[in-house]
Amino acid sequence: MYDEHVLTDEGCRNVWKNGKKVGYCVNLKINYYRGLPICCIDQISLEVDGEKVDPSSMILQHNGKEYPYLEILKDDFPTDVYWLFGEKLRVVVKREGGIDQGRHHVKVTLGTRRSYTPTMISVCEKELTFA
Amino acid sequence: MKMDYDIKLGVSLYSYQDNYYFHKHDLEGCIAAAAGSGATGIEVMPEAMIPEWPYISDSFVDKWNGWIERYGVEPVCLDHFSDRAMWKNKQLSDEQLFERSIWYIKAANKLGCSLIRLLHNEHIGVGISPYRLTDVKIAERLLPICAEYGVTMALECHAPTTIDDPIHEPYLEVAEKLGLPFVGLMADFSSYEYCISRADVGQVVRKGGTEKIINFIRESQREAYYKGQPFVYEEIKDRVEKMKPNEIDREFIEFHTKSTGPASYKVLKDYSSKLVYIHAKFYDIDENGQVDNMDYPKIFQALKEGGYKGYICSEFEGNRRMNDAGWVDEIDYIRKHQKLMRKCLED
Repeated sequence: MYDEHVLTDEGCRNVWKNGKKVGYCVNLKINYYRGLPICCIDQISLEVDGEKVDPSSMILQHNGKEYPYLEILKDDFPTDVYWLFGEKLRVVVKREGGIDQGRHHVKVTLGTRRSYTPTMISVCEKELTFA
Repeated sequence: MKMDYDIKLGVSLYSYQDNYYFHKHDLEGCIAAAAGSGATGIEVMPEAMIPEWPYISDSFVDKWNGWIERYGVEPVCLDHFSDRAMWKNKQLSDEQLFERSIWYIKAANKLGCSLIRLLHNEHIGVGISPYRLTDVKIAERLLPICAEYGVTMALECHAPTTIDDPIHEPYLEVAEKLGLPFVGLMADFSSYEYCISRADVGQVVRKGGTEKIINFIRESQREAYYKGQPFVYEEIKDRVEKMKPNEIDREFIEFHTKSTGPASYKVLKDYSSKLVYIHAKFYDIDENGQVDNMDYPKIFQALKEGGYKGYICSEFEGNRRMNDAGWVDEIDYIRKHQKLMRKCLED
Protein backbone atom coordinates (compact mmCIF):
# COMPACT_ATOMS: atom_id res chain seq x y z
CA MET A 1 0.00 0.00 0.00
CA TYR A 2 2.49 2.65 1.14
CA ASP A 3 5.55 0.40 1.38
CA GLU A 4 7.53 2.18 -1.29
CA HIS A 5 6.78 5.55 0.32
CA VAL A 6 7.96 4.69 3.82
CA LEU A 7 11.38 6.13 3.09
CA THR A 8 10.91 9.64 1.76
CA ASP A 9 13.44 11.54 -0.31
CA GLU A 10 12.72 14.68 1.68
CA GLY A 11 15.02 16.28 4.21
CA CYS A 12 17.92 13.81 4.10
CA ARG A 13 20.90 15.68 5.41
CA ASN A 14 23.65 15.97 7.94
CA VAL A 15 22.84 17.27 11.39
CA TRP A 16 25.25 19.95 12.60
CA LYS A 17 26.31 21.46 15.89
CA ASN A 18 28.78 24.31 16.33
CA GLY A 19 29.97 24.01 12.74
CA LYS A 20 30.55 20.26 12.98
CA LYS A 21 28.63 17.28 11.67
CA VAL A 22 27.26 15.24 14.56
CA GLY A 23 24.88 12.96 12.73
CA TYR A 24 22.44 12.62 9.84
CA CYS A 25 18.76 12.09 9.34
CA VAL A 26 16.12 10.51 7.11
CA ASN A 27 12.36 10.99 7.15
CA LEU A 28 9.83 8.16 7.24
CA LYS A 29 6.10 7.98 6.59
CA ILE A 30 3.73 5.45 8.10
CA ASN A 31 2.92 2.12 6.39
CA TYR A 32 -0.79 2.15 7.26
CA TYR A 33 -4.02 3.92 6.36
CA ARG A 34 -4.11 5.90 9.60
CA GLY A 35 -1.78 7.22 12.28
CA LEU A 36 -0.73 4.97 15.15
CA PRO A 37 0.58 5.57 18.65
CA ILE A 38 4.36 5.80 18.41
CA CYS A 39 4.60 2.91 20.88
CA CYS A 40 2.97 0.70 18.21
CA ILE A 41 6.20 0.89 16.22
CA ASP A 42 7.55 -2.64 16.47
CA GLN A 43 10.85 -1.87 14.79
CA ILE A 44 12.75 0.63 12.74
CA SER A 45 15.94 -0.87 11.33
CA LEU A 46 18.22 1.24 9.19
CA GLU A 47 20.98 0.17 6.87
CA VAL A 48 23.13 2.74 5.15
CA ASP A 49 25.44 1.60 2.34
CA GLY A 50 25.01 -1.96 3.56
CA GLU A 51 25.97 -1.16 7.13
CA LYS A 52 23.50 -1.65 9.96
CA VAL A 53 22.85 1.45 12.05
CA ASP A 54 23.18 1.00 15.83
CA PRO A 55 19.62 1.34 17.23
CA SER A 56 20.94 3.08 20.34
CA SER A 57 22.23 5.92 18.15
CA MET A 58 18.78 6.66 16.71
CA ILE A 59 16.54 9.47 17.90
CA LEU A 60 13.00 10.02 16.64
CA GLN A 61 11.62 13.51 16.14
CA HIS A 62 7.96 14.05 15.42
CA ASN A 63 5.39 16.78 15.87
CA GLY A 64 7.77 18.96 17.83
CA LYS A 65 8.99 16.26 20.21
CA GLU A 66 12.03 14.01 20.47
CA TYR A 67 12.33 10.40 21.67
CA PRO A 68 15.35 8.10 21.82
CA TYR A 69 14.41 5.11 19.65
CA LEU A 70 15.03 2.54 22.37
CA GLU A 71 12.68 4.44 24.70
CA ILE A 72 9.64 4.01 22.49
CA LEU A 73 10.17 0.24 22.43
CA LYS A 74 9.78 0.00 26.19
CA ASP A 75 6.59 -1.36 27.71
CA ASP A 76 4.44 1.37 29.24
CA PHE A 77 5.65 4.10 26.88
CA PRO A 78 2.75 6.64 26.72
CA THR A 79 -0.01 5.57 24.34
CA ASP A 80 -1.36 9.02 23.48
CA VAL A 81 1.61 10.12 21.36
CA TYR A 82 0.73 9.57 17.73
CA TRP A 83 2.71 9.20 14.53
CA LEU A 84 0.40 11.27 12.38
CA PHE A 85 -0.90 9.85 9.12
CA GLY A 86 1.04 11.24 6.18
CA GLU A 87 3.46 13.17 8.41
CA LYS A 88 7.17 12.63 8.52
CA LEU A 89 8.89 10.90 11.40
CA ARG A 90 12.46 12.16 11.43
CA VAL A 91 15.06 9.59 12.36
CA VAL A 92 18.30 11.19 13.48
CA VAL A 93 21.37 8.98 13.68
CA LYS A 94 24.00 10.32 16.08
CA ARG A 95 27.38 9.87 14.44
CA GLU A 96 30.47 11.99 14.76
CA GLY A 97 31.38 13.31 11.32
CA GLY A 98 27.85 12.68 10.00
CA ILE A 99 27.61 11.20 6.53
CA ASP A 100 29.43 12.14 3.33
CA GLN A 101 27.43 14.60 1.31
CA GLY A 102 25.98 12.93 -1.75
CA ARG A 103 24.22 9.72 -2.71
CA HIS A 104 23.88 6.78 -0.36
CA HIS A 105 21.96 3.53 -0.42
CA VAL A 106 19.44 3.48 2.42
CA LYS A 107 17.31 0.54 3.50
CA VAL A 108 14.67 0.79 6.19
CA THR A 109 12.59 -1.96 7.75
CA LEU A 110 9.52 -0.61 9.49
CA GLY A 111 7.22 -2.80 11.58
CA THR A 112 3.98 -1.49 13.07
CA ARG A 113 1.50 -3.27 15.31
CA ARG A 114 -2.16 -2.66 14.57
CA SER A 115 -5.50 -3.81 15.94
CA TYR A 116 -7.08 -6.41 13.69
CA THR A 117 -4.30 -7.47 11.34
CA PRO A 118 -0.85 -8.88 12.11
CA THR A 119 2.21 -6.65 12.48
CA MET A 120 2.97 -5.06 9.13
CA ILE A 121 6.61 -5.16 8.13
CA SER A 122 7.57 -2.89 5.24
CA VAL A 123 10.98 -2.85 3.64
CA CYS A 124 11.90 0.19 1.58
CA GLU A 125 15.22 0.77 -0.18
CA LYS A 126 16.31 3.89 -2.02
CA GLU A 127 19.29 5.81 -3.31
CA LEU A 128 19.08 9.10 -1.44
CA THR A 129 21.08 12.28 -1.67
CA PHE A 130 22.19 13.65 1.66
CA ALA A 131 22.75 17.40 1.97
CA MET B 1 -45.38 -0.23 -3.81
CA LYS B 2 -45.22 2.51 -1.19
CA MET B 3 -41.81 2.64 0.38
CA ASP B 4 -40.98 4.22 3.68
CA TYR B 5 -37.29 4.96 3.56
CA ASP B 6 -35.18 8.00 4.33
CA ILE B 7 -31.73 7.54 2.87
CA LYS B 8 -29.00 10.17 2.82
CA LEU B 9 -25.63 9.89 1.12
CA GLY B 10 -22.27 10.67 2.63
CA VAL B 11 -18.57 10.02 2.17
CA SER B 12 -16.09 8.45 4.53
CA LEU B 13 -13.07 10.75 4.26
CA TYR B 14 -10.96 7.58 4.49
CA SER B 15 -11.76 7.36 0.77
CA TYR B 16 -9.37 10.27 0.16
CA GLN B 17 -6.46 8.73 2.06
CA ASP B 18 -3.88 9.07 -0.71
CA ASN B 19 -4.78 12.71 -1.24
CA TYR B 20 -4.16 13.25 2.46
CA TYR B 21 -1.06 11.05 2.78
CA PHE B 22 0.65 12.74 -0.16
CA HIS B 23 -0.45 16.22 0.98
CA LYS B 24 -2.61 17.03 -2.04
CA HIS B 25 -5.46 17.87 0.31
CA ASP B 26 -5.75 18.57 4.01
CA LEU B 27 -8.84 17.79 6.09
CA GLU B 28 -10.65 20.85 4.78
CA GLY B 29 -9.83 19.82 1.21
CA CYS B 30 -11.25 16.34 1.83
CA ILE B 31 -14.45 17.82 3.26
CA ALA B 32 -14.69 20.11 0.23
CA ALA B 33 -14.21 17.12 -2.08
CA ALA B 34 -16.99 15.20 -0.31
CA ALA B 35 -19.36 18.17 -0.50
CA GLY B 36 -18.45 18.68 -4.15
CA SER B 37 -19.43 15.10 -4.95
CA GLY B 38 -22.96 15.91 -3.86
CA ALA B 39 -22.76 14.15 -0.50
CA THR B 40 -24.49 15.71 2.50
CA GLY B 41 -22.66 13.84 5.24
CA ILE B 42 -19.13 12.88 6.22
CA GLU B 43 -17.42 10.20 8.26
CA VAL B 44 -14.03 10.90 9.78
CA MET B 45 -11.26 8.64 10.98
CA PRO B 46 -9.67 10.62 13.81
CA GLU B 47 -6.33 8.77 13.71
CA ALA B 48 -5.93 9.74 10.09
CA MET B 49 -7.12 13.30 9.78
CA ILE B 50 -7.32 14.95 13.20
CA PRO B 51 -3.75 15.98 14.00
CA GLU B 52 -4.49 16.65 17.68
CA TRP B 53 -5.90 13.18 18.27
CA PRO B 54 -6.54 11.85 20.91
CA TYR B 55 -7.14 15.37 22.19
CA ILE B 56 -9.57 17.70 20.48
CA SER B 57 -9.27 21.34 21.43
CA ASP B 58 -12.04 23.89 21.34
CA SER B 59 -10.21 25.72 18.58
CA PHE B 60 -10.23 22.55 16.46
CA VAL B 61 -13.95 22.16 17.13
CA ASP B 62 -14.49 25.77 16.03
CA LYS B 63 -12.56 25.14 12.83
CA TRP B 64 -14.48 21.91 12.23
CA ASN B 65 -17.83 23.59 12.80
CA GLY B 66 -16.81 26.33 10.41
CA TRP B 67 -16.12 23.77 7.68
CA ILE B 68 -19.38 21.95 8.41
CA GLU B 69 -21.22 25.21 7.85
CA ARG B 70 -19.19 26.40 4.87
CA TYR B 71 -19.46 23.12 2.95
CA GLY B 72 -23.02 22.39 4.00
CA VAL B 73 -22.40 18.85 5.22
CA GLU B 74 -23.26 17.10 8.46
CA PRO B 75 -20.90 15.00 10.57
CA VAL B 76 -22.26 11.47 10.60
CA CYS B 77 -19.78 9.01 12.02
CA LEU B 78 -16.39 8.82 13.69
CA ASP B 79 -14.31 5.64 13.39
CA HIS B 80 -13.44 3.81 16.59
CA PHE B 81 -10.38 1.57 16.76
CA SER B 82 -9.33 -1.09 19.23
CA ASP B 83 -5.56 -0.85 19.38
CA ARG B 84 -4.64 -3.25 22.12
CA ALA B 85 -1.07 -4.26 21.17
CA MET B 86 0.53 -1.07 22.43
CA TRP B 87 3.81 -2.57 23.56
CA LYS B 88 6.12 -5.38 22.58
CA ASN B 89 5.52 -7.56 25.61
CA LYS B 90 2.31 -6.19 26.98
CA GLN B 91 -1.16 -5.35 25.77
CA LEU B 92 -3.78 -2.97 27.06
CA SER B 93 -6.04 -4.46 29.71
CA ASP B 94 -9.80 -4.52 29.19
CA GLU B 95 -10.03 -1.59 31.57
CA GLN B 96 -7.55 0.43 29.50
CA LEU B 97 -9.26 -0.48 26.23
CA PHE B 98 -12.57 0.57 27.78
CA GLU B 99 -11.13 3.93 28.82
CA ARG B 100 -9.64 4.40 25.38
CA SER B 101 -12.99 3.68 23.75
CA ILE B 102 -14.50 6.53 25.74
CA TRP B 103 -12.18 8.91 23.86
CA TYR B 104 -14.03 8.10 20.66
CA ILE B 105 -17.49 8.54 22.16
CA LYS B 106 -16.55 11.93 23.59
CA ALA B 107 -14.86 12.97 20.34
CA ALA B 108 -17.92 12.00 18.30
CA ASN B 109 -20.06 14.09 20.59
CA LYS B 110 -17.70 17.08 20.32
CA LEU B 111 -17.69 16.91 16.54
CA GLY B 112 -21.42 16.42 16.20
CA CYS B 113 -21.41 12.77 15.09
CA SER B 114 -24.24 10.65 16.44
CA LEU B 115 -22.46 7.42 15.48
CA ILE B 116 -19.17 5.73 16.06
CA ARG B 117 -18.16 2.79 13.90
CA LEU B 118 -17.22 0.37 16.68
CA LEU B 119 -14.33 -1.95 15.90
CA HIS B 120 -16.01 -4.83 17.69
CA ASN B 121 -14.33 -8.14 18.15
CA GLU B 122 -16.41 -9.97 15.53
CA HIS B 123 -16.38 -7.35 12.77
CA ILE B 124 -14.44 -9.54 10.33
CA GLY B 125 -15.46 -12.79 11.97
CA VAL B 126 -13.77 -14.68 14.77
CA GLY B 127 -10.26 -16.07 14.72
CA ILE B 128 -8.85 -13.53 12.26
CA SER B 129 -7.73 -10.63 14.48
CA PRO B 130 -4.47 -11.36 16.30
CA TYR B 131 -5.75 -9.40 19.32
CA ARG B 132 -9.08 -9.32 21.10
CA LEU B 133 -10.85 -6.15 20.01
CA THR B 134 -13.69 -4.38 21.79
CA ASP B 135 -15.87 -7.26 22.89
CA VAL B 136 -19.39 -7.43 24.26
CA LYS B 137 -18.25 -7.06 27.88
CA ILE B 138 -16.49 -3.78 27.09
CA ALA B 139 -19.36 -2.64 24.86
CA GLU B 140 -21.80 -3.27 27.70
CA ARG B 141 -19.85 -0.86 29.90
CA LEU B 142 -19.79 1.70 27.09
CA LEU B 143 -23.57 1.76 26.69
CA PRO B 144 -24.33 4.15 29.59
CA ILE B 145 -21.58 6.47 28.32
CA CYS B 146 -23.09 6.38 24.83
CA ALA B 147 -26.44 7.29 26.38
CA GLU B 148 -24.87 10.21 28.23
CA TYR B 149 -23.26 11.58 25.08
CA GLY B 150 -26.01 10.68 22.62
CA VAL B 151 -23.76 8.46 20.51
CA THR B 152 -24.69 5.07 19.02
CA MET B 153 -22.15 2.32 18.41
CA ALA B 154 -22.47 0.92 14.88
CA LEU B 155 -21.37 -2.71 14.62
CA GLU B 156 -19.68 -2.95 11.25
CA CYS B 157 -20.53 -6.36 9.80
CA HIS B 158 -17.71 -6.66 7.31
CA ALA B 159 -17.09 -9.62 4.97
CA PRO B 160 -16.73 -12.50 5.61
CA THR B 161 -19.49 -11.83 8.15
CA THR B 162 -22.96 -10.54 7.34
CA ILE B 163 -25.63 -8.56 9.19
CA ASP B 164 -27.52 -11.74 10.10
CA ASP B 165 -24.46 -13.55 11.42
CA PRO B 166 -25.38 -14.53 15.01
CA ILE B 167 -21.94 -13.45 16.26
CA HIS B 168 -23.16 -9.83 16.32
CA GLU B 169 -26.33 -10.59 18.29
CA PRO B 170 -24.95 -10.54 21.87
CA TYR B 171 -24.30 -6.79 21.57
CA LEU B 172 -27.94 -6.14 20.67
CA GLU B 173 -29.13 -8.45 23.43
CA VAL B 174 -27.14 -6.69 26.13
CA ALA B 175 -28.46 -3.30 24.97
CA GLU B 176 -31.99 -4.63 25.15
CA LYS B 177 -31.42 -6.13 28.57
CA LEU B 178 -30.17 -2.79 29.90
CA GLY B 179 -32.78 -0.75 28.05
CA LEU B 180 -30.00 1.30 26.44
CA PRO B 181 -30.56 1.17 22.67
CA PHE B 182 -27.20 2.70 21.77
CA VAL B 183 -25.79 -0.08 19.64
CA GLY B 184 -26.98 -1.29 16.24
CA LEU B 185 -26.03 -3.23 13.16
CA MET B 186 -24.12 -1.61 10.34
CA ALA B 187 -23.95 -3.21 6.90
CA ASP B 188 -20.77 -3.06 4.85
CA PHE B 189 -21.17 -3.72 1.14
CA SER B 190 -18.11 -6.00 1.22
CA SER B 191 -20.64 -8.72 2.13
CA TYR B 192 -22.28 -8.25 -1.29
CA GLU B 193 -19.33 -8.82 -3.60
CA TYR B 194 -20.22 -11.35 -6.28
CA CYS B 195 -16.88 -11.53 -8.07
CA ILE B 196 -13.25 -10.47 -7.86
CA SER B 197 -12.89 -6.75 -8.57
CA ARG B 198 -10.80 -5.56 -11.50
CA ALA B 199 -8.81 -3.59 -8.94
CA ASP B 200 -7.74 -6.87 -7.33
CA VAL B 201 -7.02 -8.49 -10.69
CA GLY B 202 -4.66 -5.65 -11.58
CA GLN B 203 -2.85 -5.77 -8.26
CA VAL B 204 -2.27 -9.51 -8.19
CA VAL B 205 -1.06 -9.47 -11.80
CA ARG B 206 1.45 -6.74 -10.94
CA LYS B 207 2.65 -8.93 -8.08
CA GLY B 208 3.29 -11.79 -10.51
CA GLY B 209 -0.10 -13.48 -10.75
CA THR B 210 -1.43 -14.85 -14.04
CA GLU B 211 -3.97 -12.52 -15.64
CA LYS B 212 -5.63 -15.26 -17.70
CA ILE B 213 -6.25 -17.44 -14.64
CA ILE B 214 -7.59 -14.68 -12.39
CA ASN B 215 -9.83 -13.33 -15.12
CA PHE B 216 -11.13 -16.82 -15.83
CA ILE B 217 -12.17 -17.15 -12.19
CA ARG B 218 -13.69 -13.67 -12.20
CA GLU B 219 -15.70 -14.46 -15.33
CA SER B 220 -16.89 -17.75 -13.83
CA GLN B 221 -18.06 -15.90 -10.72
CA ARG B 222 -19.90 -13.34 -12.86
CA GLU B 223 -21.52 -16.01 -14.95
CA ALA B 224 -22.74 -17.83 -11.85
CA TYR B 225 -24.12 -14.61 -10.38
CA TYR B 226 -26.01 -13.59 -13.51
CA LYS B 227 -27.45 -17.09 -13.84
CA GLY B 228 -28.62 -16.83 -10.24
CA GLN B 229 -26.46 -19.77 -9.19
CA PRO B 230 -23.94 -20.13 -6.40
CA PHE B 231 -20.29 -20.03 -7.41
CA VAL B 232 -18.55 -23.27 -6.48
CA TYR B 233 -14.82 -23.15 -7.03
CA GLU B 234 -14.55 -26.95 -7.06
CA GLU B 235 -16.49 -26.95 -10.32
CA ILE B 236 -13.82 -24.98 -12.19
CA LYS B 237 -10.80 -26.14 -10.21
CA ASP B 238 -9.66 -28.69 -12.82
CA ARG B 239 -9.70 -26.06 -15.55
CA VAL B 240 -7.74 -23.65 -13.35
CA GLU B 241 -5.16 -26.35 -12.56
CA LYS B 242 -4.65 -27.00 -16.28
CA MET B 243 -3.59 -23.36 -16.63
CA LYS B 244 -0.79 -24.06 -14.11
CA PRO B 245 -1.27 -21.41 -11.41
CA ASN B 246 1.89 -20.20 -9.66
CA GLU B 247 2.28 -19.57 -5.92
CA ILE B 248 0.98 -16.02 -6.14
CA ASP B 249 -2.10 -17.23 -8.02
CA ARG B 250 -2.69 -19.95 -5.45
CA GLU B 251 -2.55 -17.60 -2.50
CA PHE B 252 -4.94 -15.21 -4.22
CA ILE B 253 -7.32 -18.01 -5.26
CA GLU B 254 -7.40 -19.38 -1.71
CA PHE B 255 -8.58 -16.03 -0.38
CA HIS B 256 -10.94 -15.02 -3.20
CA THR B 257 -12.89 -18.18 -3.95
CA LYS B 258 -14.35 -18.99 -0.54
CA SER B 259 -17.56 -17.06 -1.11
CA THR B 260 -20.30 -18.60 -3.23
CA GLY B 261 -21.85 -15.22 -3.99
CA PRO B 262 -23.22 -12.08 -2.40
CA ALA B 263 -25.03 -12.17 0.93
CA SER B 264 -28.81 -12.39 0.65
CA TYR B 265 -30.68 -9.30 -0.62
CA LYS B 266 -33.80 -10.68 1.05
CA VAL B 267 -32.06 -10.64 4.44
CA LEU B 268 -30.79 -7.14 3.73
CA LYS B 269 -34.36 -6.03 3.04
CA ASP B 270 -35.65 -7.70 6.20
CA TYR B 271 -32.93 -6.09 8.33
CA SER B 272 -33.03 -2.65 6.65
CA SER B 273 -35.31 -0.93 9.10
CA LYS B 274 -33.07 -1.80 12.04
CA LEU B 275 -29.69 -0.95 10.52
CA VAL B 276 -28.12 2.17 12.01
CA TYR B 277 -25.48 2.85 9.37
CA ILE B 278 -24.04 1.60 6.08
CA HIS B 279 -20.65 1.60 4.37
CA ALA B 280 -20.99 1.57 0.61
CA LYS B 281 -17.67 -0.05 -0.05
CA PHE B 282 -16.24 -0.20 -3.57
CA TYR B 283 -12.94 -0.74 -5.36
CA ASP B 284 -13.59 0.09 -9.00
CA ILE B 285 -16.25 1.54 -11.27
CA ASP B 286 -16.79 0.21 -14.78
CA GLU B 287 -17.50 1.96 -18.09
CA ASN B 288 -21.24 1.93 -17.34
CA GLY B 289 -20.80 3.74 -14.06
CA GLN B 290 -21.50 0.58 -12.05
CA VAL B 291 -19.38 -0.84 -9.24
CA ASP B 292 -17.64 -3.68 -11.04
CA ASN B 293 -18.19 -6.45 -8.48
CA MET B 294 -21.31 -5.52 -6.50
CA ASP B 295 -24.89 -5.17 -7.68
CA TYR B 296 -25.70 -1.68 -6.42
CA PRO B 297 -29.19 -1.50 -8.02
CA LYS B 298 -30.19 -4.71 -6.21
CA ILE B 299 -28.65 -3.62 -2.91
CA PHE B 300 -30.40 -0.25 -3.02
CA GLN B 301 -33.68 -1.84 -4.00
CA ALA B 302 -33.49 -4.03 -0.89
CA LEU B 303 -32.64 -1.05 1.34
CA LYS B 304 -35.47 1.06 -0.06
CA GLU B 305 -38.07 -1.69 0.12
CA GLY B 306 -36.93 -2.59 3.61
CA GLY B 307 -37.29 1.02 4.78
CA TYR B 308 -33.72 1.92 5.70
CA LYS B 309 -33.47 5.27 7.43
CA GLY B 310 -30.04 6.75 7.72
CA TYR B 311 -26.79 7.43 5.96
CA ILE B 312 -25.00 5.39 3.34
CA CYS B 313 -21.40 6.55 3.08
CA SER B 314 -19.01 5.91 0.19
CA GLU B 315 -15.99 3.93 1.30
CA PHE B 316 -13.45 3.71 -1.50
CA GLU B 317 -10.81 1.04 -1.05
CA GLY B 318 -9.52 0.97 -4.62
CA ASN B 319 -6.65 3.29 -3.68
CA ARG B 320 -4.74 0.65 -1.75
CA ARG B 321 -5.37 -1.90 -4.53
CA MET B 322 -4.25 0.33 -7.37
CA ASN B 323 -1.76 2.87 -6.03
CA ASP B 324 1.18 0.54 -6.57
CA ALA B 325 0.61 1.25 -10.29
CA GLY B 326 0.42 5.03 -9.92
CA TRP B 327 -1.84 7.82 -8.77
CA VAL B 328 -5.45 6.83 -8.10
CA ASP B 329 -7.95 9.62 -8.66
CA GLU B 330 -9.97 9.15 -5.49
CA ILE B 331 -11.89 12.38 -5.98
CA ASP B 332 -13.18 11.26 -9.37
CA TYR B 333 -14.01 7.78 -8.10
CA ILE B 334 -16.13 9.25 -5.31
CA ARG B 335 -17.82 11.65 -7.71
CA LYS B 336 -18.86 8.72 -9.91
CA HIS B 337 -19.85 6.64 -6.91
CA GLN B 338 -22.11 9.32 -5.47
CA LYS B 339 -23.70 9.74 -8.89
CA LEU B 340 -24.37 6.00 -9.07
CA MET B 341 -25.90 5.96 -5.59
CA ARG B 342 -28.13 8.96 -6.38
CA LYS B 343 -29.36 7.13 -9.47
CA CYS B 344 -30.02 3.99 -7.46
CA LEU B 345 -32.10 6.08 -5.05
CA GLU B 346 -34.09 7.73 -7.83
CA ASP B 347 -34.84 4.57 -9.84
